[in-house]
Amino acid sequence: MRHLASYVLTRFLLAIPMVFIMLTIIFVVLRIMPGDPVSAMLGDRAPLRVINEKKHTLGLDKPIAAQYVDYLGQLVRLDLGDSMIFKQKVSQPIIEKLPATIELTLFGLLASLAIGVPLGAAAARRRRSGGDFGIRLYANVVYCIPVFWLGLLFQLVFGVLLGWFPISGRTSPRLEASTFSWSGFYIVDTLKIGNLAAFGDVMWHLVLPALTLGVVLSGIFVRLTRANMLDVLKSDYILAARARGVPERRVVYNHGLRNALIPIVTMLGLQFSLLLAGAILTESTFSWPGMGRLLVERIYLRDYPVIQGVIVVYTLLVSVMSLLVDLLYAAIDPRVKY
Amino acid sequence: MKRLFTLLIVLGLAFSVSAAWAQDTLVYGTTDKVTQMDVAGAYDFHTWEIFQNVGSGLMQYTPGTTNLVPALATGYTVNAAGDEYTFKLRKGVKFSNGTPFTASVVKWSIDRVAKLNGDPAALVTQYVKSVDVVDDYTVKFVLKGPLSYLPALVATPTYFPMDPSVYPEDKIVQDVGELNGGEIVALGPYRLTSFKRDEEAVFEANPNYWGKEPGIQKIIIRYFADATTMRLALEKGEIDLAFKTLNPSDIADLTKGGKYNAVKIPGPQIRYLCFETSESVFKDKKLRQAVSALINRSEINQKVYLGQNAPLYSMIPMGMSYHTEDFKTALGDGNVALAEKILKGLGYSKAKPFTFDLWYTPSHYGDPEVNMAEVMKAQMEKSSLVKVNLKSAEWATYKQQWNNKQMPVFFLGWYPDYIDPDDYTSPFAQTEGSKGMGIFFSSKAWDDLFIQEQQTTKDAVRNSTFAKIQKMWTDEVPTVPIFQGNLYIFSKKNVSGVKIGPTLIFNYDQLKFTK
Repeated sequence: MRHLASYVLTRFLLAIPMVFIMLTIIFVVLRIMPGDPVSAMLGDRAPLRVINEKKHTLGLDKPIAAQYVDYLGQLVRLDLGDSMIFKQKVSQPIIEKLPATIELTLFGLLASLAIGVPLGAAAARRRRSGGDFGIRLYANVVYCIPVFWLGLLFQLVFGVLLGWFPISGRTSPRLEASTFSWSGFYIVDTLKIGNLAAFGDVMWHLVLPALTLGVVLSGIFVRLTRANMLDVLKSDYILAARARGVPERRVVYNHGLRNALIPIVTMLGLQFSLLLAGAILTESTFSWPGMGRLLVERIYLRDYPVIQGVIVVYTLLVSVMSLLVDLLYAAIDPRVKY
Repeated sequence: MKRLFTLLIVLGLAFSVSAAWAQDTLVYGTTDKVTQMDVAGAYDFHTWEIFQNVGSGLMQYTPGTTNLVPALATGYTVNAAGDEYTFKLRKGVKFSNGTPFTASVVKWSIDRVAKLNGDPAALVTQYVKSVDVVDDYTVKFVLKGPLSYLPALVATPTYFPMDPSVYPEDKIVQDVGELNGGEIVALGPYRLTSFKRDEEAVFEANPNYWGKEPGIQKIIIRYFADATTMRLALEKGEIDLAFKTLNPSDIADLTKGGKYNAVKIPGPQIRYLCFETSESVFKDKKLRQAVSALINRSEINQKVYLGQNAPLYSMIPMGMSYHTEDFKTALGDGNVALAEKILKGLGYSKAKPFTFDLWYTPSHYGDPEVNMAEVMKAQMEKSSLVKVNLKSAEWATYKQQWNNKQMPVFFLGWYPDYIDPDDYTSPFAQTEGSKGMGIFFSSKAWDDLFIQEQQTTKDAVRNSTFAKIQKMWTDEVPTVPIFQGNLYIFSKKNVSGVKIGPTLIFNYDQLKFTK
């Protein structure tokens, strides 16, 4: 247990330089890019004098190095600063939008596993059959499809043509999310107030965006599961199970799949960053009010502190996720010790 | 898994069935955004639209028209010099929280806008010397000089009375949560009961409204990230009405088949080309004339906007007083012969064509912008004496570049601050305004003309001044008008009462369900 605690602590400490490097890159890139938040925020009509005054007020007329030192000074006090456009604390929109992104990525991850793992196992079981070929083709195709295009296709087919699912937002407008929003996790909030209809509506709105993310990422899990399963199915203990007359389905899914899942867990951590990247586009396609949409909008406005704040949160999320995956890995594989 | 799926279907259907009965609520979709929830800070059409529905001005436009009528005022008088306006106020009016509306509230609100010096403050500070309380129901505006269009200015949200017990005196409010009481209290037909940025805004009828009760008790605005999803949401029935801003192809598709009520609004938005006139290659007005002559407005409208806008031949839009068609008669449309004559006179030839960078911004004005730039490049290169390099920059960069005189010619668009020809001309060609637009045009003769039209209330004088300005525009060509934008609202068949005039004010209280 002591070893585990020191491992967790080490990982947290290692996350600090990672965040620092990411932040430095973003900080410099944003400031050397043409354009600035003042020009974006003041619209067409502000005179040059007003623009320069505003830049001075926001400290944008200082050398980049001085701005960087100021920013780091804020960060060590755990202050992400103030938005340059909406004059609010950066943490405010992030706290508002983060639950939406977590709900979406979590369900996207579940969907990708729910689709990818069984398909990969089925492909391995029927190696070199028509089914195997079809599943591998599916995996390649969905991995190549741009996530926004797939989202639009799902909206058209399942939303407009078939009318099965809603195509935008986290809830139906008439539900008035502000009446039950407490933690920002609408699934939790609707259950907390015991409103099952609202809970159903929230889940209903999650289906298409989560499925879009899940389908695109399922391709990787199909390929990975299939490859691992093929290795596992050649193992001696599988041969022994077959020799004992264990039914093939049980051999594959109970004995084989369980062991093939271990490397997939590792992959989960790596895929999480891809999932977050996909969520940025999915949120825009489905008008999902999360961090990805916030990031895109603030990039257009050159709202430096919010962009930096979102990147910090994304980096922390990826660090936490990879740490969790490592801990999970140790829990499911007795050979791994910390 | 199957069970969960079935449960979701049942719950989803149950909810949609219950929602279908809610006929006292209208859901309106938009891709616009709210900026600051404060009249002292907001300076954009959508946030103004919200204040126009939760607030009232001393004057207001009759819905769907440009007729100014008294609202919170019962009338006004102007002194002979034209620099003092005295408004008589409506008695017995209360905010939605019960605070009485008096002359002191008017003074407090306008003084606050001036003091906080937010983006729209110039609409007050440029013109108003002081606001004086004469008695509880009489307020006097003492101006810095004679001004013909103060009644139009007091109809803008910047001049709207706000409750002093709700808004802080010393800071601009960003979000509703910062208000005392956590709600925008209203003098208008609706009160804003909840707001989640980028998600929704909920309006409920104001029980203390001094005017007629709204046709629909509750309006919910749903905010979309893009126009395509908004169009699909309308088709799916998730929203009852979609406004600002649909893509031209979506507008064309939704218009077909008659499934929706389509309202075309001859908007006050204009698009135009700006020249940097002080240092760039376009310092020579002859080159500006030549480039202007090459533009074929009808072709742009047909090819890029599928005929949904209207070609424009003056900076003053059609439907507004004093509009003329001078660009049509002086420089023409796609007039290659005239352009080549000018260019040859300046020494340009096929071997030595006039070459310049034409700039556009790809997302600020929507997806068709890149198409407009490409079509215009092709139009200009119809003359073998012209070579155009297309360049683009995102909005923040674009704005910085025009301030730094880095773009010789570039596209811009304009929504007016107030409905008057002055707002379509002086910001571009009067010395001070022109700098801010990246045009840097300056002429004493022009400045004098603008002062003359701004200070007189005599229609004949303004008519002749604007006629002169528009004629001079085709000679100096600081900008080239391209088209006047029409806006489109699509609603379900059971929604009526969409009345949006050239002012672009969308009065939610006029909306009704017909079945």
